[in-house]
Amino acid sequence: MVRLSIHKRQAPLGWGACFVFLGAVAVSLVLSGILLRIQGKPAVAGIWLLIRSAYFSVYAVEDCLIKAVPIFLCSLGVAFAFRLQVWNIGAEGQYALGAVGASWAALTFPDLPGYILLPLMLLSASVAGGLWSFIPAFLRNKLRANEIIITLMLNYIGIFFLEYLVYGPWKDPTSFGFPMTKNFSAPAVVGTIGQTRLSWGLVVCILAGIASWIFFRFTRLGFELKASGDNPRAAQYARLPYTRLVAIVMVLSGMLAGWAGLLEASANLNRLQPSIMAGYGYTAIVVAWLASLNPLLIGLASFLLAGLRVGLEILQLDLQVPAAFGSILEGLILLTVLAGGFFTRYRLELRRRP
Amino acid sequence: MTWDLMVALLAATIQTGTPILYATLGEIITERSGILNLGVEGIMIVGALAAFLVSWWTGSALAGFLAGGLCGALLAAVHGLVCLVFQGNQVVSGLALTILGTGLANYLGTPFVSKAAAGFDAWSVPLLAQIPLVGSVLFHHDSLVYFSYLLTAVLWLCLRYTRWGLGLCAVGEHPEAALAAGLRIYGYRWAGILVGGCLAGWGGAYLSLAYTHSWTNGLTAGRGWIAVALVIFAFWQPWRALLGAYLFGGVMAFQFRLQAMGTHIPSSLLLMLPYLLTIAVLVFSSWKGRGDEAPSALGINIEPAD
Amino acid sequence: MGKRILIGVTLVLFGFLPVLQATAAEKPIKVGFVYVSPIGDAGWSYAHNQGRLALDGMPGVTTAFVEAVSEGPDSERVMLNMARKGYDIIFATSFGYMDSMLKVAKQFPKTVFMHCSGFKQAPNMGNYFGRMYQARYLSGMVAGAMTKSNTLGYVAAFPIPEVIRGINAFALGAQSVNPKAEVRVVWTKTWYDPATEKEAAKSLLDVGADVIAQHQDSPGPQEAAQEKGVYSVGYNSDMSAFAPKAHLTAPVWNWAPFYKETVAAVRKGTWQSASTWYGMKEGIVDLAPFGEMVPKAIRDSVMAKKRAIVGGKEKVFSGPVKDQSGTVRVAAGKAATDQELLNMKYFVQGVVGTLE
Repeated sequence: MVRLSIHKRQAPLGWGACFVFLGAVAVSLVLSGILLRIQGKPAVAGIWLLIRSAYFSVYAVEDCLIKAVPIFLCSLGVAFAFRLQVWNIGAEGQYALGAVGASWAALTFPDLPGYILLPLMLLSASVAGGLWSFIPAFLRNKLRANEIIITLMLNYIGIFFLEYLVYGPWKDPTSFGFPMTKNFSAPAVVGTIGQTRLSWGLVVCILAGIASWIFFRFTRLGFELKASGDNPRAAQYARLPYTRLVAIVMVLSGMLAGWAGLLEASANLNRLQPSIMAGYGYTAIVVAWLASLNPLLIGLASFLLAGLRVGLEILQLDLQVPAAFGSILEGLILLTVLAGGFFTRYRLELRRRP
Repeated sequence: MTWDLMVALLAATIQTGTPILYATLGEIITERSGILNLGVEGIMIVGALAAFLVSWWTGSALAGFLAGGLCGALLAAVHGLVCLVFQGNQVVSGLALTILGTGLANYLGTPFVSKAAAGFDAWSVPLLAQIPLVGSVLFHHDSLVYFSYLLTAVLWLCLRYTRWGLGLCAVGEHPEAALAAGLRIYGYRWAGILVGGCLAGWGGAYLSLAYTHSWTNGLTAGRGWIAVALVIFAFWQPWRALLGAYLFGGVMAFQFRLQAMGTHIPSSLLLMLPYLLTIAVLVFSSWKGRGDEAPSALGINIEPAD
Repeated sequence: MGKRILIGVTLVLFGFLPVLQATAAEKPIKVGFVYVSPIGDAGWSYAHNQGRLALDGMPGVTTAFVEAVSEGPDSERVMLNMARKGYDIIFATSFGYMDSMLKVAKQFPKTVFMHCSGFKQAPNMGNYFGRMYQARYLSGMVAGAMTKSNTLGYVAAFPIPEVIRGINAFALGAQSVNPKAEVRVVWTKTWYDPATEKEAAKSLLDVGADVIAQHQDSPGPQEAAQEKGVYSVGYNSDMSAFAPKAHLTAPVWNWAPFYKETVAAVRKGTWQSASTWYGMKEGIVDLAPFGEMVPKAIRDSVMAKKRAIVGGKEKVFSGPVKDQSGTVRVAAGKAATDQELLNMKYFVQGVVGTLE
């Protein structure tokens, strides 16, 4: 008789985890291919088209980078919170509030020179986003209220607030009644790098990413965050009280999501309108988890997931695959990677019983 | 507001709250066993599509309802697989399930958007519907609403008085003690997940078979998330779930009637009301110290024994 | 010798020209569509897609679409991709695509860009829209004639000009046959949520409305009306399957004639950038067949009005038109200009509701 037994690994798989990850992604691609087949589309050709048009051309890479910027910033923020096991599901709302904050500055002070206006916008976006994430932190600290629900509800409220502003007090009188603010003045727009379509936001991302990596790797606070997250009792030994840690990560989280909102409004749209909401806050959670909350891997994962969305459009155009296919693929990748994580922590053994 | 309008509002409250009630009851069962399933939204919408498809194909609304529950349980089983077998993080797995479920339902459901299917219609319960006020509010609905009343009572009895129910709660509170007492914790957790998935699927089925008789992408519109929130409001108890679902449904129904009556409050602000209310209720419950009534082992995976 | 060459060349040229023309007529044309929502959700994208499907029947025309494209950089990318892939005509069907389309149009001067519901143009970019308000006016006439409580309920989506214009036209139509008719508006802030839209309809029914009209495409409001035993006006598609006893009529889109006309013009080389706003006369908007319950007298008067509008003898927004506060917006004897219509930000008298 053969028995399958499970043993916890002494130390989790290191580089092998990479193979497990790739294996998981492969499984989800296969499953997605089957789904394509069900709808009558070519499976292998479809998946290959997706990959090819997402990454294998200069245009595609540029598109991916543009799309990756907001995902990366939101995701970085989410990672801070998740490290402490504070489940911030509110990146979407914090992103919206950040955009609102930035727009407020841009619309109220259109004539300030750029070197004053842009930092002002950054400040107001940080304050707005940070405030939105501070509320659940405060409620969790003081009242032990569940942050998952509060951040989630605040997402809806934040989006309705944005809509209220663009349908009402901030609506552009020359926009034929469509809900959007006036175009931002030139000093309020984050410009593009040279002749490309990439904005300087990309540089912000790189700097933020490196700063975060250094923070987690080399600072004491960064270490304490991880330790306190893994074991709340260890938090007692941290220099800062646990509640303070919660507040810090949440505010940082909201701030970073707010920066993403600022960049989208300023660099890409040049105004505030409801379509700024594109689900980045939720994708950010997927990315953060896939990247094991590591800032450098988050950079890679944001790029890859942005590519997914870019490739999906070509899939729609060339093969008439419905837009919902992207969510399916995202969900499958996340689930298979989660399942694959099992193999990095546990070892299977086949034993023969006499 | 006239008396008639008031009665109509209360009756509408029951209907608006019912899909949320089903999902909330389901999540209560799941969480009582110690598993956090954030995939309720995805399960609801898959259940809605499955119910609609089967009802459209077979012409039987009942078959559709059962199919909705079955598919809900199947999707929830994925969560079970990832968390119970592969020890995946419960929060992230649930989120992934929502993303997957929503995408799946929209992907497969697009061809069925302008079709009509058999559904459940309202009927009055003889005698009971004649009771002034209470009768017109509670007893002039479709069968699925009446079933939800029954379900609430059954689950309450079950959790309180049956062996199975008590075992379920024990597994969620003290899994080690339960294990030591000989309870099969994996069995209970699987049951919690599957029953929860079935009920969430039924919540979705209510939307496509009774509340409306149609399917469109995005039919659930975030109701699954409300259900997850309401579980906490309900302190994990079925009767309070009833209260919470109707409260939420009532606010949703109320803000529309405010608009219809000609209010000048911008609609975006009115639409915020249900969500603000949920936060207010949650904060209040936590302030009263009842947030600690969560099953102690909620969200924590039990490692497989060596 | 030179003369013969000249004659020869002329003959050859004249011989070739018809051949060249014929080849141009069969030159394959790729047409791309950009939709703001999935085709299965809102009547808007669904209707455009129906128009696109009509193009598939034309010889040598291939079409493709991308749905659920966010306004902003996403739409810019989609249009860039289409242009790079050699699409000859690109239709973008949402106001918010305007700036992105202009950017892309400047980079691809040989491609024809058509923007729906906007106002910016370029030598290779035109815009187009449809006078849905004409059909809404007619449907309002039916509603106004059939109501007994004089309260008409309108389930509205988002406070954008097209919706506001539609509500106003509906109200004016109702008032033209029933001066006491009042239109109550409830905003759902959704394009595709049958449950929410049904709830909104129910709330209107609770305040006494006995005809329900809507701007979304889901049958939710229709079902609500049917359940209560009152009437309803659909939108865009034939919703009588959902509400056989309630469905009076519906204003519908029909983009096929316009799309075919544009493709034919591009092929012939006669296309020019313009601002096109077609209506019932060109067949872009129409009224769905009447339900059985509509009496002949009403049908006749509605059809007579339709003929008058199509013939140009009457206009929907002809003065005096007052807004909710009583201010005269369109003077007596005048008609609202297209600019005024596109910028409409007020409700006419007789409409109860806010604008946000």
